[in-house]
Amino acid sequence: MTKTILEVKQLSKHFARHRSFFSGLNRRTNTIPAVDNVSFYLRENETMGLVGESGCGKTTVGRTILRLTPPTSGSVIFDGRDITHLSDRELRPLRKDMQLIFQDLDAGLNPKMRVHDILSEAVSVYERLSDAEVGIKSRMLLDQVNLKYSKLSSYPSELSGGEKRRVGIARVLAVGAKLIVADEPTSALDVSIQAQVVNLLRDLQKQLGLSYLFISHDLQVVELMSDKVAVMYLGRIVEMGLTGRISGAPRHPYTYILWSSLVEKHSHEATHISKLDRRAAWGVFDFERPESGCRFAPRCPVYEKRGHPVECTDPANEPQLRDMGEGHQVACHFPLGG
Amino acid sequence: MKKYSQTTAEIGDFSKLPLLQKYALADLLYVAYGLLIVALVLVSYILGMFDLLPHDPQQINMGLLMAPPASGGYLLGTDFMGRDILSRLIVGIQAYFLPGLLAISISLTGGVVLGILSGYWGGKLETVITYFTNLVDSFPRLVLILLVIAAFKPDIYYIMVVMGITGVPTVATAIANKIRFLAQKSFIEAALALGLHARVIIFKHILWYNCRALLIIQATLGMGEAILLETSLSYLGFGVQEPVPSWGNMVQSGANYFLQGNFWPSTAPALAILFTILGFNLLGDGLNNILEDRRGR
Amino acid sequence: MTQPLLKIENLRTYFYARSKQSFVRAVDGVSLQVGHRETVGVVGESGSGKSIAAMSVMGLISAGPGVIGGSIHFTGSRVQKNLLEGLDKFVKIKEENARVMEVIKDESGWQKASKRLMRDLRGREIAMIFQNPHASLNPYVTVGEQITESVRLHTTHKSDKESRERAIYWLDQVKIDSPRLRFNSYPSSMSGGMCQRAMIAMALSSEPSLLIADEPTTGLDATIQSKIVDLMEELKSETGISTLLISHDISVISRLADRVAVMYGGAVVEYGPAQLVLDMGATIKHPYTAALLASVPSAQKIRDKANLQAIEGDVLDTINVPSGCRFYARCNQVTAEIREKCASHHPELQEVAPGHQMRCWRFGS
Repeated sequence: MTKTILEVKQLSKHFARHRSFFSGLNRRTNTIPAVDNVSFYLRENETMGLVGESGCGKTTVGRTILRLTPPTSGSVIFDGRDITHLSDRELRPLRKDMQLIFQDLDAGLNPKMRVHDILSEAVSVYERLSDAEVGIKSRMLLDQVNLKYSKLSSYPSELSGGEKRRVGIARVLAVGAKLIVADEPTSALDVSIQAQVVNLLRDLQKQLGLSYLFISHDLQVVELMSDKVAVMYLGRIVEMGLTGRISGAPRHPYTYILWSSLVEKHSHEATHISKLDRRAAWGVFDFERPESGCRFAPRCPVYEKRGHPVECTDPANEPQLRDMGEGHQVACHFPLGG
Repeated sequence: MKKYSQTTAEIGDFSKLPLLQKYALADLLYVAYGLLIVALVLVSYILGMFDLLPHDPQQINMGLLMAPPASGGYLLGTDFMGRDILSRLIVGIQAYFLPGLLAISISLTGGVVLGILSGYWGGKLETVITYFTNLVDSFPRLVLILLVIAAFKPDIYYIMVVMGITGVPTVATAIANKIRFLAQKSFIEAALALGLHARVIIFKHILWYNCRALLIIQATLGMGEAILLETSLSYLGFGVQEPVPSWGNMVQSGANYFLQGNFWPSTAPALAILFTILGFNLLGDGLNNILEDRRGR
Repeated sequence: MTQPLLKIENLRTYFYARSKQSFVRAVDGVSLQVGHRETVGVVGESGSGKSIAAMSVMGLISAGPGVIGGSIHFTGSRVQKNLLEGLDKFVKIKEENARVMEVIKDESGWQKASKRLMRDLRGREIAMIFQNPHASLNPYVTVGEQITESVRLHTTHKSDKESRERAIYWLDQVKIDSPRLRFNSYPSSMSGGMCQRAMIAMALSSEPSLLIADEPTTGLDATIQSKIVDLMEELKSETGISTLLISHDISVISRLADRVAVMYGGAVVEYGPAQLVLDMGATIKHPYTAALLASVPSAQKIRDKANLQAIEGDVLDTINVPSGCRFYARCNQVTAEIREKCASHHPELQEVAPGHQMRCWRFGS
């Protein structure tokens, strides 16, 4: 039984909303819950995908788990240790085991430093090594990410997108990370390079026994990489389970819409998607965002079809994640398939 | 008409190019001229310090009043009291050199500290520091200096301290903005995520790699301003007093004779002021363009 | 046989990289055609030159030297002209071994001439939509106003009331909810998908013959992307407009394009009917197209959790252009007999089947 490397319990992250002078009188809604009551766990050598549209809070989940921003409530347990309230100084030695691959390709790459310097710095953060050892380790890292040694003398501006991404990965490996949160690792890259990066991440996982939290809006890549998937909508997880189940037999209406738009994108067939579902696919901003009751209701085709059932808008009855069997959880009053 | 040519079929390496092709000619000339001026100032300062002057700056030579340049062993001529202008110019540098360095040290140190506190930690600290810098910035510098002179004494060092302090906002804002820019590119966050200490990030990544150019440029411009300030004050009679020479008071005392047709005693120091400040400013400008790659690469 | 709506022949757009002291051969001899009521898709990755080619057609290239050769014939119902007419008077090229070594160009002169040539075309006969919709809309003017302005400028509906009604009509055509209300919205209050729809409305409101769409779905969420594609399909059949669609997203191209051009390293490497070019199983296939199609995760691969088929190496940077075939370094279909030719000679675009052209030594002499 592989051990659990990461456990997230009821994690919430609220951002204070900037309100105008007069609306300060209304104190009730003063914060934006970017992440609301998120719970999941990740085992060693496992990949969990986190999907959702932009603004659903998936990036914030990643950053909060790594304590790059303090959580508002809930707890994060990494490798058996509760890191939720540790101070920066206590956290620093733990940081080497949990790293983030940033969405921005240039993050962490100082434009005035050569690749050689960037890697040497990363290698020496937690250990004191001699120059020779640093050199050897840098080369080893380049080998691991399939970059030629000649790239050591290049500046980041001389690197292509794929190369920058790989240097970023090498940097994260340099400190010896065990858990890697990958935030949109393939988004800014060309299709053929995306394939290279995906292959690389998988090979590294096999070689080094890494665990990934794979955040992406690219459903296909998530499906390919992940063992299990969590779908987020407006800060909450609405469905979670094994990848095959989520993509093949989704229970939450939102998940269904997400995956069917994927199918639609690729084929001329209209598929069996109803007009209601099509309308719902238009996106978060086109609809209201209620803060109580089911958040998806205004956009939910099932809500429409069932004639606006009162449970869905009842503020005291927000749908909670329920186990549907075999670790498949859904937060919906009327999940698909009964 | 624009001409573009590629000399070989291979791509060139920018860093191996001869200087002339790498940077705009104008910038190189600015920097060359500026460095020349800096060298002259330095050399003159040292000469002045060790009294290695062609003539005694105070020595009056009634026989050769207001002589034109290159007459009787006086390279730049003499002033209205027969004193050697060149020597007086050299000694005049003493009036602003060290004080100027003091001013820029204060500006840079204060600016760096406040800039980093404000840009890196942000939050309430940033608000407080911004208020403070805006406050200091809104004071008319010359008035403040005159106040100091009135309240204390016309000591150039006091004056330069004031100048240093009034120069802090510029540097602080520039650095804070630079940090904000880097923060936007997830740059600082990524360094923190890796586990780097805040002090490493600040000193190595922010200051050394990214703010180096900014600081050099602020230093050169600051020096130019210091010179202008000192000479203005001396001209007005608030700085160095006769018979000790300062470029400002040389212009002042020569002014009386200007209208009589004796241009040189006034003009010589004025030109010195002009060329020197120009040198520092152009140095700053040229360096800025070269180091920050501004000219359309 | 009527002339195609847009005929690009041997277009060359170069830039100059001072830091490398060499030319960036962004578009190096591209020939394409867009017929009436036809959608031509241009597929390629970054550095392929597809966006630059589109911008060259619209005359939006401002960096030097810019467009240096070729012709762009536009044959609309009201206007017919060569958009690059007279270019050779402003440009002098010196070549060595068929490689451009020196360009002398009167840039300001050409800017003026080009402006004159494009005057009655840009925004009227040829409309363009871009990738980042928020960046392309004026943030200080309401969406409705921007469309109204376009209507007033480019169509016969000049009165306030008429132009406003037309603007609302177009907002409705692009399926924006409550168009009358949305008329007064500012771009900042609209989502990416909505802004993109507004851009499409703005482009179509001038009733152009040709629409150039540069990465219209990139950067939008997956759900929105498919909706935009739906919308474009509908508009295509309703208005009969011709489209030059540029995208790196093969699925988008496959749904909308009648003909497809695949670009790599500044040149078109394969050009033909969409079903042929994008069909993974076709026998006559350019190695790059084949590799590109193979690197997209397919349902089968996902089921098998297999590794994706990546293309070795990195996308060609158009500064360091090799003398042989540009894809040679990454090609996995080079055979011993053509290896020498691939390494040293740049292949021409050859017709390998009626309507299907290919630039490869494997399929042409």
